Amino acid sequence: MIEIRDLHQSYTGHEGAVEVLKGIDLTVPEGSITAVVGPSGAGKTTLSHCISLLEKPTSGEILVDGSDLSRLRGRQLRSARRAIGTIFQHSALLRRITVAENIALPLRNLGVVHHEMQDRVAELLDRVGLLHKANAYPGQLSGGQKQRVGIARALALRPRILLSDESTSGLDPDTTAQILSLLADLRTDLGLSIILITHEMDVVRHVADQVASLSHGRLAEYGSLPSLVADQDSTVGGQLLPIAALPLPAGFDTALDLAYRDGDVDPEWFTRVAVDHQIRLALLGGTVEARGATALGRAVVGVRAEQAQRAIGALNGLGLSARVRSDAGRSGPLGTTTSIAGTDPAGPPLSVAGQIQTGATVGATA
Amino acid sequence: MSATADTSQPLLSDTPLSELPALLLPAYGETWAMVGIVMVLVVVIGGATGVLLYNTSPRGLFPQKRAYGVLSWAVNMGRSLPFLVLMAAIIPLTRWITGTTLGIAAAVVPMTIAGIPFFARLVQNTLNDLPQENMAVGLVTGSSPAQIIRQTQLREALPGLASAVTLNTISMIEYSAIAGTIGAGGIGFLAVTYGYQRFDMTVMLGTIILLIITVQLVQFVGDRIARSLTRP
Ligand SMILES: Nc1ncnc2c1ncn2[C@@H]1O[C@H](COP(=O)(O)OP(=O)(O)OP(=O)(O)O)[C@@H](O)[C@H]1O
Ligand SMILES: [Mg+2]
Repeated sequence: MIEIRDLHQSYTGHEGAVEVLKGIDLTVPEGSITAVVGPSGAGKTTLSHCISLLEKPTSGEILVDGSDLSRLRGRQLRSARRAIGTIFQHSALLRRITVAENIALPLRNLGVVHHEMQDRVAELLDRVGLLHKANAYPGQLSGGQKQRVGIARALALRPRILLSDESTSGLDPDTTAQILSLLADLRTDLGLSIILITHEMDVVRHVADQVASLSHGRLAEYGSLPSLVADQDSTVGGQLLPIAALPLPAGFDTALDLAYRDGDVDPEWFTRVAVDHQIRLALLGGTVEARGATALGRAVVGVRAEQAQRAIGALNGLGLSARVRSDAGRSGPLGTTTSIAGTDPAGPPLSVAGQIQTGATVGATA
Repeated sequence: MSATADTSQPLLSDTPLSELPALLLPAYGETWAMVGIVMVLVVVIGGATGVLLYNTSPRGLFPQKRAYGVLSWAVNMGRSLPFLVLMAAIIPLTRWITGTTLGIAAAVVPMTIAGIPFFARLVQNTLNDLPQENMAVGLVTGSSPAQIIRQTQLREALPGLASAVTLNTISMIEYSAIAGTIGAGGIGFLAVTYGYQRFDMTVMLGTIILLIITVQLVQFVGDRIARSLTRP
């Protein structure tokens, strides 16, 4: 388990000190994956450098299984770093030695005896499915294979924490999916605490248990993935399941934003509302997908104004949260809301709820 | 006939072609002796300086603004004087170290002093080309600075370092010829005394051809070595 407490980091530049991290609190329990997302410049890499103990934070604590590693120096710092495995963006394999030698290097430098080292390397290569590439050079591997070797190397010293900064960016979707399922397996099999830093929302949706969204050095949102998707006020939730909704058809004048609550949702909700409650619904857009045992889902439906309140009541009863889109009927694709919020790096911290609605209005009039 | 016999002959007469090898070969040996001794010193001292330059720079393992500034300034100093000027300027130092201002020993001092900063910068540039992330890998896996320098910096940079040695060797061959002008011996000395002072075309052309072949050969071998050190 890794706990980050009130982490601050400042850099001194030409215009004095700039605080890049302004008090981060984050807990990643054993056997779970926390994704850290955020726009460019939010401080993700800075956070990752603090966690991998490459940088000393100006204040705050980094507790791994209860002991603070952030203040160590010299030899102690070096051995503390081994508790945290890091996967790098460009895999960072040494090009002049083989795959097996790359994985063996951390073990060799620790002083592990030769035959144990060989057994461990073989075990790790098997784990990432690259036993047949042991004697290849990194230059002979594909991007995804290199990244898997990077993961094997990160695991060599049996760390409790695995940290990945953009390790899937630059990989194609299939390869990304392979890497992610490997990470998900490792989380479960080895009980690792995994911190996944990324800007790819698909990645987050596929593997994260928790999501922390970083904005201007602060945690704007932080919670379990299903709860964020279920939260209508969550910007990250909207980015995780973006919907490009159709315009309201003739005869409908009110659009409702729906989100599957973090709990049981009747899969027949659409029929139920129509048949049991005699309310006409127009499906304008939506995504529903399985997330382990729970369902993640968001949708936009059209109703008639006079039926709106009844519809909301009925939907709530079936396990969905629902509310009226304030700009309904005025704009083109309603889904633009999420992308506006998503691409605005200067957006305000998300503690201000209801930002989505404002964004939609801007999108509609622009 | 020996070189001393030649001097008794009338001026402006070219050395017969048959006597050229007897003249060139010993001088060629001297050139290689100079370059060889210098390159050993340059690779060891200049290499260490280059590693220090890189690692005290902001990209390095132990960034040290002050130390980097001083080191960088010293290296620039060593590189800012044309070799001929440097050689003349440090004659007192050369005499103090070697006890003479003539011959191979006297040439080795200025050549080494010129070669070290040159090689140091080449090494720094080669290390600069390595991916920054590789260093971070060493750090996060708990490796010591010495291990990182050996495994991640020097070993990964070997092909580049081989090219740097090649480039430096060729420069030193050139410097040895310049050193020849103040009586350091070697091919350069031959070119100056026979070609320049006596207009001996045979010796002049002989030295030129020999130098061209030598430089081409050094480059060819250097490229081969660099390639053999590169992994797919
Ligand atoms: N060593 C440094 N010195 C000064 N400023 C820095 C340093 N490292 C990062 N910064 C600044 O801190 C801010 C956060 O940078 P960081 O690299 O952590 O962002 P990021 O979220 O990883 O962005 P990206 O998605 O582009 O990788 C940026 O404004 C950057 O300019
Ligand atoms: Mg970054």
